[in-house]
Amino acid sequence: MEKLVPITRLGKFFGGEDYTLDISMGQEWLEGDMNFTVVLYRIDRYKTLQDDVYGEVPEGGIQFLPPIEIKGLVQILQPTNQRLGTSRVRQDEPGNMRFSVYQAYLDELNVDINFGDYLGYYETESKVRYYSVSDDGRVVSDNKHTYGGYKPFYRTIIATPTSKNEFFGT
Amino acid sequence: MAFPKQVKPNIDLVPPKTLSARRHELLEFINKDGTYLPKSVLHADLDLGMLEFVKNELKTTVSGKDINVIDKIITNQRWSQFTETWNFKDPDFNVDLPFITVVRSPEVKYGTNPSTQYTIPVRKQFYYATVPTWNGNQKGYDVYTIPQPVPVDINYSVKILCNRMRELNTFNKNVLQTFSSRQAYTFIKGQYVPIIMNNLTDESVIDLDRRNYYMQSYDFTMLGYLIDEEEFQVKPAIARVLQLVEADTSVRQGRRAEIYPPNPNEFEYRLFYTSTNDTLIDDAVEYNIDLSLISTDNVDSWEVTINGDFYGSDLISIQLNTNDVLEVSVTKTNPALESTILYQAKLV
Repeated sequence: MEKLVPITRLGKFFGGEDYTLDISMGQEWLEGDMNFTVVLYRIDRYKTLQDDVYGEVPEGGIQFLPPIEIKGLVQILQPTNQRLGTSRVRQDEPGNMRFSVYQAYLDELNVDINFGDYLGYYETESKVRYYSVSDDGRVVSDNKHTYGGYKPFYRTIIATPTSKNEFFGT
Repeated sequence: MAFPKQVKPNIDLVPPKTLSARRHELLEFINKDGTYLPKSVLHADLDLGMLEFVKNELKTTVSGKDINVIDKIITNQRWSQFTETWNFKDPDFNVDLPFITVVRSPEVKYGTNPSTQYTIPVRKQFYYATVPTWNGNQKGYDVYTIPQPVPVDINYSVKILCNRMRELNTFNKNVLQTFSSRQAYTFIKGQYVPIIMNNLTDESVIDLDRRNYYMQSYDFTMLGYLIDEEEFQVKPAIARVLQLVEADTSVRQGRRAEIYPPNPNEFEYRLFYTSTNDTLIDDAVEYNIDLSLISTDNVDSWEVTINGDFYGSDLISIQLNTNDVLEVSVTKTNPALESTILYQAKLV
């Protein structure tokens, strides 16, 4: 049986009920008012056939669980105009996605975001860009991710853009 | 006092094969479960051979627990890393120490294995095997040829990450024992491929204000070679048509074949003289025969010469052998008419 220890810090002026209220108001603002939506494609690691040596799959070979719409704060970083290494081929590289989501929201949906999962974000009605999770933000022990030092309450996921031959949502 | 760990209660009764017999045994490994040709050995096969080598030959156990080996070469697809390490992760989903991982340098350079280096130009094909074929009607042979394998050097770093010096020591002991003669071999599709140990570096993190762990990197070079079955050639050689003929071997009694044309033992031997001719020469008698006079016509007398020797006059019987030269001259009763001497010839 899991051992539970009550959190009593900040107890004179803040407690679990305040925390829950503030989080629910924040969720109402983020998920109701802002309503930024991304599509989470979780890799089906049992059905996806990978090769024995590199664990890779060919184009279009990744199998994923049913996509889920999740709401959070989406920030797309600035693109960089650069050469691809030393190839002299110029590329306008899209910026990474920083996606912040309430942990309570993920718990309600019973969804977890793992390293390597894919996120799809519709920039326009017809244009979608896919990102691969490079940091699933699982470690939320830092001050920034806690509510005034009381308890962690959100995760920040960093995802990098994918090329079409790696993943394109089908 | 040390206690021996490897007590072998049985001895090998069958000695291992050597020299030519061993080479045949290796050839059987190469051809096993396939055609008469060797199987392709490409980059992925060499990498898999290295992973198997680390997993099996460098297996390290400390305090009765095996050190985990990430048995794939981690690539750019992030999710696959998660798949390979999920069973030894901590609550933060970080990989639990200790573990061993294999990192391959992406660049694969032309090999330094001297047995296959720069010896044969232009991918010349070499005889490998002659294989009998049978398509139901035709028996023949196919000649299999392959080009010289391409040597490659692949550099690997085998890294151990751990928290205890004992784990480092045990792994180090395993590596040095395995490479005590500088090289070891991995077995890839029936072929022994050498691996050379180059260097050992320590990359441990021992800063005071960071998480501490040991990391040592062992650098190896695999002296491999590429065999691509797309380059193999199979050409038809000798083909032979087999014709089968059925014959009735039973023999009917009472029936004999008729000889045609007839081949008698006796025949007429006629000497015919025209009105202007009174001598006949048979310059090569074809048989051994006896001549017996039957009749004459308009003949008064005749003289017989055999092989130039006078034989007699008005002879009733003459004996001739094969290739005798017979000359018969007649004196006609009426010289103005034709005349005939008729003998009966009998083969002897």
